[in-house]
Amino acid sequence: MSEEAVNKENQGTQRQKYSEKEAARVFDQEFMPHVNSMYNFAYRLTFDEDDAKDLVQDTYLKAFRFINSFEQGTNAKAWLFRILKNSFINEFRKKSKQPAKVDYNEVESYYNSDDIDESITTDLRVETVQHMIGDEITLAMNSIPVDFRTVIILSDLEGFTYEEMSKILDIPIGTVRSRLHRARNMLKEKLSSYAKEMGYNK
Amino acid sequence: MSEFSDWFKSSFKECYCERGNLVDEKRFSEIIQLVLDNEADEESRAIFEEKIRTCVKSNGNYEREKCVQESIKQKLCEHKQEIPEDLAKTIKKSIGL
Repeated sequence: MSEEAVNKENQGTQRQKYSEKEAARVFDQEFMPHVNSMYNFAYRLTFDEDDAKDLVQDTYLKAFRFINSFEQGTNAKAWLFRILKNSFINEFRKKSKQPAKVDYNEVESYYNSDDIDESITTDLRVETVQHMIGDEITLAMNSIPVDFRTVIILSDLEGFTYEEMSKILDIPIGTVRSRLHRARNMLKEKLSSYAKEMGYNK
Repeated sequence: MSEFSDWFKSSFKECYCERGNLVDEKRFSEIIQLVLDNEADEESRAIFEEKIRTCVKSNGNYEREKCVQESIKQKLCEHKQEIPEDLAKTIKKSIGL
């Protein structure tokens, strides 16, 4: 992410002038507590321990480099997640080992069409989910396109609000709502198919 | 008024027939999500709560959706990746802290 991009995302906030000591304190007290969440997010995007580690390190380096764009007392976690997400999209995904890339616009317009509603499963039973182990649910989630997976991670695992997600992902808040709904339906559909295969529904 | 007040009102109306019966469960599931995610404003939430108190079908849908979402969330949260021990140290070292 360029300095211009970082500054753009901080429009409306005043550029800070931290001393070396202050910058170190902000970094340590406001940024470092989120390292575990950042790593989990990175891992769920990349599915690779080394890649996740590189992505987190890269994010923190950028955060330190552009620390004057961060205003103390604002949401550090959302700011860091946004940098990480941008790094993943702009740099990391390009050189990623993953062969097939999903065209997000195509997927979203497909899932936004009226036709798809007919095939979306909404009858997933609570007992079915309770029978499953975390691994099975994680595998199902990993099989949905990354842009849909991302909103579930941000909302259900990291507890971001729609407004925060809108800023992290650079999308309108209404799109956050509809994308999250479709993402959860996709996940339920995967879980439902898996449950049928495994005979959990009997 | 929140971001979703107007959306809630029009969507909620479309979920029910003139007699007040739930006829569009798919749309209703979007409303449930907004409520469960704490994104519905007070007025919308009050309308929603009144409905699930009086409509068995709406209540059933809400309870099922709530339980499924909570179970999925809980299992995903339990299943977090182990953090590399040296990650925080490496980051700090790389920027000279």
